[in-house]
Amino acid sequence: MGAKVFFATVWKEFRVRLHAYPISFMVSCLTTGIYTNLGAWLMYHCFFEGRLSSDFSLYAGTGDYMSYVIVGSCTYLFVVRTCLNVSRTLVTELREGTLDSLMLAPFHRSAYFLGNMALQTVTTSLELLISVLIGLFFGLQIYHFSPGKFIIAVILSLYGFFGISMMLGCLMLYTRNTYITQNTLFSLIFLLCGITFPKEYLPKALQYIGALLPVTDAVDLLRTSLLGGMTAEDWSATAMRLFVLSSIYILMGFPLMEKAERIALEKMEG
Amino acid sequence: MITFFKVVWGEAIKQHRNYFHSKTIYISLFVWPLLSFVTAYYGYLPFEIETAKIGYLNGENILIYLLLGYMCMSFFRSLVQSAWNFSFERQSGTLEYIYLSPGNRFAVLLGNALSSVLESMIVMLVFGIFLMFLHKEVLRMQLGTCMVVFCLMMLMAVGWGVFLNACFLFSRDTDFLFTILEEPMEIFAGVKVPVILFPGWAKIISLIFPLTYALEAVRETVLNEASFYELKGFFFISMMILVLLFGGTLITIQIVEKHMRKTGNASLF
Repeated sequence: MGAKVFFATVWKEFRVRLHAYPISFMVSCLTTGIYTNLGAWLMYHCFFEGRLSSDFSLYAGTGDYMSYVIVGSCTYLFVVRTCLNVSRTLVTELREGTLDSLMLAPFHRSAYFLGNMALQTVTTSLELLISVLIGLFFGLQIYHFSPGKFIIAVILSLYGFFGISMMLGCLMLYTRNTYITQNTLFSLIFLLCGITFPKEYLPKALQYIGALLPVTDAVDLLRTSLLGGMTAEDWSATAMRLFVLSSIYILMGFPLMEKAERIALEKMEG
Repeated sequence: MITFFKVVWGEAIKQHRNYFHSKTIYISLFVWPLLSFVTAYYGYLPFEIETAKIGYLNGENILIYLLLGYMCMSFFRSLVQSAWNFSFERQSGTLEYIYLSPGNRFAVLLGNALSSVLESMIVMLVFGIFLMFLHKEVLRMQLGTCMVVFCLMMLMAVGWGVFLNACFLFSRDTDFLFTILEEPMEIFAGVKVPVILFPGWAKIISLIFPLTYALEAVRETVLNEASFYELKGFFFISMMILVLLFGGTLITIQIVEKHMRKTGNASLF
């Protein structure tokens, strides 16, 4: 039953994306990545001519600013795409008028969302490949690639991104607003999670808020599995924390989503 | 002439009611620019600011330097957004009514741009002045010059908005213009990195945006005590830009109207 819903969702979403939505959406996400890299490149090479302050490598674990930013912006791209696709699915169904027929069908919540997540992971990985190629052009270098750590980091990050997009999805379905909610969350992630600068530069209070978002730990894990700079104990502690945090998000997300669906269905006509 | 201003005022009121019916507008007007400003500020910290190659820049005034950048950019950016919103007018079919009415087309565009500049300006301006007041020891400005430059910048922003609105009248598929203008403006107009340090190709791109010139002049007056005489280049260029933008708008409006007469339906093309 669950597997059937899973594959049906993947197939349905794939067809929808292929037919209804133009490529321009993907292009706009890619250009965001390019602009972030370009902005960092101008800062590093033209404005400050490579003069990093002494505490950067202490906080970042690497002295390579460009690689630091590029890995960060790729992760950010992945979060944004996950949230855009997974969180918005039910709101999109509501807007297109298919939410009630979806609910009438034998709807399996976790299979439905996992299906969406699976498809979006595949498509975004392809986009990410292009971003990495662009990153190489801007000076991305991989120093300490450890495949084992990298695979664990990717799996845990996907788990975390799934959690955060479930929560965002609830909020979107409840408020029936995507524009304000998603962009506010993206701005917060960009500020708090250590995407383009080490989060240690932020005031302590903001660091604590950032620690509540799974993206912070995910970026750290992914970055250190590619560029090094974290001890094994720290790494496994961060991985543990990410796992626990994401589990909380997901465990809270599903019941909340059920409530939000009910409210959305009640409010549908008014 | 009175009818012209009536149309400007009418459009401005309409625009206001369109946007401010919900409080969430304040999030996009204030919270987003604020978050991106704070992010940009922390983005500077990995570097040794003292060694930057701009004479008047140092660790103390970099915050104000960046603040001026984000303040001016938010004025210009609000216009890109209002122009983008203007394209919904076409989709909901109200653009046809505007064209059927005897109202001056230029007045409509002007009213739209004026209302979005003035309304988006106030929150950011209050915040900016507050922050500058807190750091008033780094300010080195002459108030008179500053006011003149500020007024010129607002005029340029309105001109830019009117021109964009006119361009958005052309076609239904305007999302791509938004992609081209929104983020590159932040990078190429020198909001974070001074244009003077750009490589040649980037300098050429930066010349497109009126914000580039306005920002340079604003920073020179506030942080480097530039006088009227030192800014004569800016005054000359800004006049040229204003003539170009408003002239370009008038011509575009003519072309659009001719084009619509030929193709028929405003809501379909």
